[in-house]
Amino acid sequence: MDELEKIEADDRVYSLNLGPQHPSTHGVLRILLDLDGEYIVKCDPVIGYGHRGHEKMGENRQYKQFLPNTSRMDYLSGLLYNHGFVLAVEKLAGIKVPERAKYIRVIASELNRISSHLLWFGTYLLDIGGITPFLYAFDDREHILDTLDTITGSRLTYSYCRFGGVTRDIDSKFIDMTRAFLKRMESRWADYEALVSKNVIFIHRTRDVGVIDVNLARQYGVTGPNLRACGVAFDVRRSEPYEVYDRFDFEIPTGTRGDALDRYDVRFREMQQSCRIIEQALEQLPEGEFLTPKVPQKLSPPKGEVYTAFESARGLTAYYLVSDGSPAPYRCHIRVPSFGNLNVLNDVLPGTMVADAIAILGSIDVVIPEIDR
Amino acid sequence: MRIKDIESRMQNKFPDSPLKGDDTGVTGAKWSISVPISGIRDAAMEFDAAGFFLESITALDFQDTFELVYHFNCYEPGSRVTVRMLCGHDQVPPTICDIFRSAGWLEREVHEFFGIKFSGNEDLRPLLLPEDADYHPLRKTFGRVGAYHKREVIYG
Repeated sequence: MDELEKIEADDRVYSLNLGPQHPSTHGVLRILLDLDGEYIVKCDPVIGYGHRGHEKMGENRQYKQFLPNTSRMDYLSGLLYNHGFVLAVEKLAGIKVPERAKYIRVIASELNRISSHLLWFGTYLLDIGGITPFLYAFDDREHILDTLDTITGSRLTYSYCRFGGVTRDIDSKFIDMTRAFLKRMESRWADYEALVSKNVIFIHRTRDVGVIDVNLARQYGVTGPNLRACGVAFDVRRSEPYEVYDRFDFEIPTGTRGDALDRYDVRFREMQQSCRIIEQALEQLPEGEFLTPKVPQKLSPPKGEVYTAFESARGLTAYYLVSDGSPAPYRCHIRVPSFGNLNVLNDVLPGTMVADAIAILGSIDVVIPEIDR
Repeated sequence: MRIKDIESRMQNKFPDSPLKGDDTGVTGAKWSISVPISGIRDAAMEFDAAGFFLESITALDFQDTFELVYHFNCYEPGSRVTVRMLCGHDQVPPTICDIFRSAGWLEREVHEFFGIKFSGNEDLRPLLLPEDADYHPLRKTFGRVGAYHKREVIYG
């Protein structure tokens, strides 16, 4: 690590380069830290290493051609991004979606949300020194990947949704695998609780570390589990229900202190709620079409704009599309949750210790390619 | 209801700008309002006082003008509001980064991609592009472009 020393008055302030190839930065994030001894005085995240210009690509492509791009922003919850994009285009072009397709999308999305949270769960604990939970979490996550593989054909960068439905109907094999996974997880939650949630070392590492209060979260536009950990029950699935989310009975877990432990706790309980949603969706799954027939290959939506928000694994995500009536959008903007969630570090990190910076950064659960777009 | 609160605040502050409601839900916002460049700081302060957060700032590049689009939201269901501001290609809008701290990065992003400067924002270094980038990729004059319209072509 590059270490620069400068002497300011009588204080010794060090500059420390955290990243961009540091394993705990999950992608290519570089944080310039000014240190006074072990304490952080100033923090300046340097991002953009993964910038590919998705917004410009969106303007140069037809709506359908942009579909594979969507899952390459937040690659851990690619299906949710894919889902959100078709929601936006369907709204703009006025395409109807069959009931069955809506349920299939919800089931697949929630499975993807659990897999994203499980990966975070494993790697976060790895960051702060616990190796065993990582192996357990990846074992569980593998079941989800296999299940989604049977319907989507991919393991990570899904492009499963289509305008007016999904590419492939779900069959009894998928349903059986999903039910088996839900059954398996019932006992796993207790294991995780015993292994991690009640672990004294873990609690000491995370309690009262990296506190974000409600006002700071509002100032920075923090959303998702990070916001809910401060006690605000704000979830797009509840506040602007899309698809069929208003038909399910599920809770929005919240915390009280807004520290790293609360953020862990909220995500942990969110996985259980996602399981509840999947269970109900499988129960209610109607028969019928899974794709609206005769949606034109080349869409030319009417002039106007659409802004569609959805809840990705990291918070409020939105597509803002402006159509000029041609087959490609005039403007394609993506509001990503990690942007605000990472930005808040500017205020959270100063005053904490370097070792805590790792625990805080992990608890925020940022995905850098999503910010860089 | 914060949405009612901000509605009356905005009508008091900008009596000449009508609130354009949207019942279809396509724009994702309850209503939108167009404010002049000189009014954006006042508008942002009202949103801050009403307990809203800044969701995104983005720009649209038209032949005749830029248009900045601010999305504000609060933690109550369906409370998103759009604030739009026309900004000529050579005009410099004021920053709102001292009102909403998230605006600092969002304005940096708009600046690097569109070349719009924000007066009062001291830190307009490129955020996602390389440090020495002197081009503005999301302008319609950069790279491969499908169409370059006047604003009225899309918004009438």
